[in-house]
Parts: sequence; structure tokens; C-alpha cells
Amino acid sequence: MTRWLARLALRFYPLAFRRRYGEEMLALLEESPPRALAVIDLLRGAMTAHLRPSATDASLVDSADRMRASMSGQLACWVAFAVAGFGFYITTEDAPFTAAGRTHQLLGATHLAIQIIAVLASGAVLAGALPLIAAALGRARREPRLRRLVSLPPLAVLLFVGLTRLMELVSSSQPAHHTNSAGAIAFLSWGLAGLACAAVCVVAARGALFAVPMQRWRLVAAFACGTLVTAAMVAIAVATTLYGIALFADASHLAASGNGPFQLLSTGVSLAVQLLVMVLAATLAATSTRRGWRAVALD
Amino acid sequence: MLTSLAEGPRHGYAITLDVEQLSGVRLGPGTLYGALSRLEDRGLIESLPVEDRRHPYRLTGAGSAALADELRTLQRVARSGLDRLRVAEATG
Repeated sequence: MTRWLARLALRFYPLAFRRRYGEEMLALLEESPPRALAVIDLLRGAMTAHLRPSATDASLVDSADRMRASMSGQLACWVAFAVAGFGFYITTEDAPFTAAGRTHQLLGATHLAIQIIAVLASGAVLAGALPLIAAALGRARREPRLRRLVSLPPLAVLLFVGLTRLMELVSSSQPAHHTNSAGAIAFLSWGLAGLACAAVCVVAARGALFAVPMQRWRLVAAFACGTLVTAAMVAIAVATTLYGIALFADASHLAASGNGPFQLLSTGVSLAVQLLVMVLAATLAATSTRRGWRAVALD
Repeated sequence: MLTSLAEGPRHGYAITLDVEQLSGVRLGPGTLYGALSRLEDRGLIESLPVEDRRHPYRLTGAGSAALADELRTLQRVARSGLDRLRVAEATG
């Protein structure tokens, strides 16, 4: 189990680092069985390698693969961002929030802006991803490994949707405003299942992206769409911050109200968590995008 | 790690064992390869052709000079520390 986790942790390293040291690190892990601490050490090492990329290793990745790596980063960030954004939508969709939006101009304007930018960003995701998906599907007919990669995300999403429906049924059978430990465990399990589903989608998409040969213009076009999505993430994070400030200033009773199917968190805390995820995802996506364009410019 | 390589080229696992023997600290794989990457970037070590999936590493000229500087500093600090302790013990 620890060896499997250690091998998994290796996948979190930047592409250039893995190309330079990956095989050696695998050999080391085979030679001396890793302990649990080694997995943490590898994850910490992966984070450092992302924060301080090596100039020497960068030459091991051409600009096409650098764009692929950046697009995978953008996708992972977008998935995390979309989960937080969906949480924001669910948190603020009820009638009292709509009424507060009509009364307080900044609340209404930022909420509308978030929705418009989210629709534009989703359009950019589709515009960037559809040609790549079409290319992957075309090739998947001939390659069984690619076929498996392409079929994984829909399966994971279907499973998660089923689990969500089950969770809704369980929560609707509970008395209103009733919190219990079973509800908390169910909510936590649902969250972990969502994370697993997102991870499967991102890893499978990344695998397919690297497995399909593609013309350069097609990669640049998809990467440009990813850049628009990144800009949208930054804009939404700013608008959500303004919305949060306006909510605390103008409708603090709503910020203090309970949120979620089991009322585990207040609306204010939920919004703070969602905003934190958004800011982290937008920052990481912006870093990945900048590195991708730098590689394209140097090519 | 530079001290470990002072004796001759070594690959990652051999460096880990040697550092553990020298200092009692076992380097994790992430720490080891992060440090190797930084040392290579700074031109203090270089890798040799791959042997059985692993690159042996060796000190460069700059690495030897940096290690010698560092060891001389440590020697000076250790000597001063021991002298001061001796004086303190003699007077106290």
C-alpha cells in the first residue's frame, strides 16, 4: 500500500522533473521499501518542485508537452473551481438571497456578474476541449488504453450523480434543521466521493491529452481557451469576494444562517471555504498558464 | 550530500545510506532528489551515464571548492566552540 501511494505521489511532480529523475526515484523506491513518512516527503518534494522549477530540467520538455502539462493544470484547477462555484450557486440560490440581491445593488450585481462569467467560461471550456475530445475519441477506436482513459470520466461522473441522488433522498428523510453524526459522515463521504470523481476525470483527461498526437495550432487554440478560462476564474474569485463583503455588510442575518443539507456550516463559513478554494485554484491556474505561454514564446 | 560524493561517484540510494551513516539522518526520496536537482542546477554536481536505471552523481570542480569552503568554515566554528568550552570549564 505504501509503495503504491509513493508511486502515486511521484505523479504529482512536474513533468520535467519526472522525466529527469522519475525512473531513478522508482528504482530507489523498489530498492528500499518506502515508509509512510516517505510518501509525505515525496508530496512535499513535489510541491517544492512546482514552486521552484529547475531551469535545467525545463529543457527536457518541448513546448507542445509544456502546453499539455499547463492545460492539465488548468483543467484540474477548473474542476476544483467549478466544485466551489457550484457550492456557491447552491448556497445562494434560495429566495431570501434573491430578495437580498434585489434590495442591495452590489449583492445583485456581483451575483449576476458571477453567473455571466461562469457561462462564458463554460463556453471557453467546451470550445477548447471539444476538438481534443473528438481527436481522442477518433483514436480511441484503435487503441484500447486510450479507450479506457476516455470511458473513465463519464463512468465516474455517473457514479457520483447516483451517489448525490442517494444523498438527497437521505437528507430529505431527515427532519428539517436536524444535525446528527450519521448526517455528518454521509456528507463527508459524499465530499470524498466528489474529490475521487474529480481526480479520476482530471487524471484520465491528462493521460488522453498526452497520448494523442496533435497539430500545434490545435494545441495553441485549446491553450488559448484555457487562458480565457483562467482569466474567468480570476474574475469570478474577485466578484465572489465582493459578494461576500456585501453579504456580511448588508445582509449579515443571511451570512449567519445554516447552510447545506445537514446544516453543518453557516452560510458565511461556507462562502469563506468556497472563496478560499476559488482563490487557490485561480492562482495555480494563472501560474500554470504563465509557464505554458513562456514555453510557447521561447520555442 | 556533497561530503558523501567527496569519496567518489554515487547514485541516490548509496548517497542516502552514506548520509545516514555520517549524520544519522535518513533522507526521504523527495528531499534527496530535490537536493540533487538544486545541486545540479547550481553546477556543484553532475550526473554520469545511467547504470541500471540510475545515474551516479559526482562533484564538479565548483562543487569540490564549495564543499572545501563549507568544511573549513565548519572546522573554524567547531574549533572556536571547543576552545570556548575549554576556557569556560577551566575558569568555571
